[in-house]
Amino acid sequence: MTNGLVLALIGAALAALLAGIGSAKGVSLVGEAASGVVSVDPSKFSKVLLLELLPGTQGLYGLIAAMFILIRTNVLSGNAAELTVQQGLAFLAASLPIAVVGLISGIMQGRAAAAGVSITAKKPEHNGKAIIMAAMVETYAILALLVSVLIIMKISV
Amino acid sequence: MSGTKYANAVGAVRAMENTLLSKNDIDQLINSKSRAEMEAVIASKVGSSSGETLVSVWEMLHEYAPDCKELEILLYKNDFHNLKAVLKAVISNRDPSDYYISPSNVELSVLTEAISKKDYSLLPEYMRKAAEEAYELVTNTLDGQLSDSLIDKASMQAMQKSAADFGSEFMQKYSQLVTACADIKTAYRCSILNKSAQFMENAICGSSDLEKEPLLKAALGGTESLFTFLEGTPYSSVAALLRDSAAKYEKWCDDVIMELAETARMQAFGSDPLAAYYIAKEAEIKNIRILSVCKEFGADKETITERMRKLYV
Repeated sequence: MTNGLVLALIGAALAALLAGIGSAKGVSLVGEAASGVVSVDPSKFSKVLLLELLPGTQGLYGLIAAMFILIRTNVLSGNAAELTVQQGLAFLAASLPIAVVGLISGIMQGRAAAAGVSITAKKPEHNGKAIIMAAMVETYAILALLVSVLIIMKISV
Repeated sequence: MSGTKYANAVGAVRAMENTLLSKNDIDQLINSKSRAEMEAVIASKVGSSSGETLVSVWEMLHEYAPDCKELEILLYKNDFHNLKAVLKAVISNRDPSDYYISPSNVELSVLTEAISKKDYSLLPEYMRKAAEEAYELVTNTLDGQLSDSLIDKASMQAMQKSAADFGSEFMQKYSQLVTACADIKTAYRCSILNKSAQFMENAICGSSDLEKEPLLKAALGGTESLFTFLEGTPYSSVAALLRDSAAKYEKWCDDVIMELAETARMQAFGSDPLAAYYIAKEAEIKNIRILSVCKEFGADKETITERMRKLYV
């Protein structure tokens, strides 16, 4: 295994790890707020569940970026590419947008969605507005994933 | 993530806010013709009942946010009231339980033991000095009014100190408002009764909004001097209310606390919404009590409406 491949694998790990942490924190925060609502009014479960799901997507984006790196470096096929340090660094750099933005946006989307849980608790008919406001944060996670994937696809192996 | 504390408790409180009485419910209660009709309106609110007490509200809040120490400041007034009750009961060999108010941070048995054994270390730190001083004062002078004013002042000082220690902006504003309302009332009564400067010195607490010395000087000059002074403070509207009636001033005090509670309605995290819910429930229970008494004495709708406290929802 070359140093370049190690760097690429670190990149894949960071994408899955940091974006996953962001999602875990975000989902747990919304889960706390949602549990509070459901403990008083169980009929609102389905409405708050939608909000709880929103910050979970960053973890998926991190997984997608990591999978792309593993596919491009042939690690999944069992015939890992002999990467130079420069190529490895390029994969590592490519993982950073979704890793960092995934971490931060996951937490921030969790905050927005948890605040939205209050809207759902008090005015369930305005649940859609709470979802839209929390979903706005998603835009930046999608953009970061796009940049990560585009870079991964353009690295010559 | 410290800014996201008590997300679970706030979620529960937001759901429970739907059970608070609204303006429409209060109008219905005012228009109700019998006690049974009133009970029906109250019972129509999911999870609400006329039997719901502040004790159950407090227990619920404590269950959701057991580590939320700043909420305990809301009960300081009950703690110090209980201290007054126990002090008098112990000295006169009576049962203090009839005068004990719940919820409280200090249990009756602890309070009674601390006072009867003079073991003030059993009490929370914020009560120890006041309990000791009040006991000495009342046993040496047998002046219950003096010891009461000492305890009331200590209560407000404790609230302000704890709020500052916890760094809670909401609680600091709350304690300042409670102090200012109590100080104005004390100053007004003292000016009517021509109380001495020494008495006022012991009874008025003072806060950053309403400093003690100028208030005391104004009260010593009589009610008009006090009103003129108040007109130049953030509590300028109070002078007109006090000129009108003490009941209107009492209502204003409750309403101004509720206005503070309303600021927490926009917050999704932290202890402020929990404190605001307790204050809202306190006001709701007070409103139901006022309504019941007014109905019992046959007060007209206008009088009842006038006396209703501001609502949270």
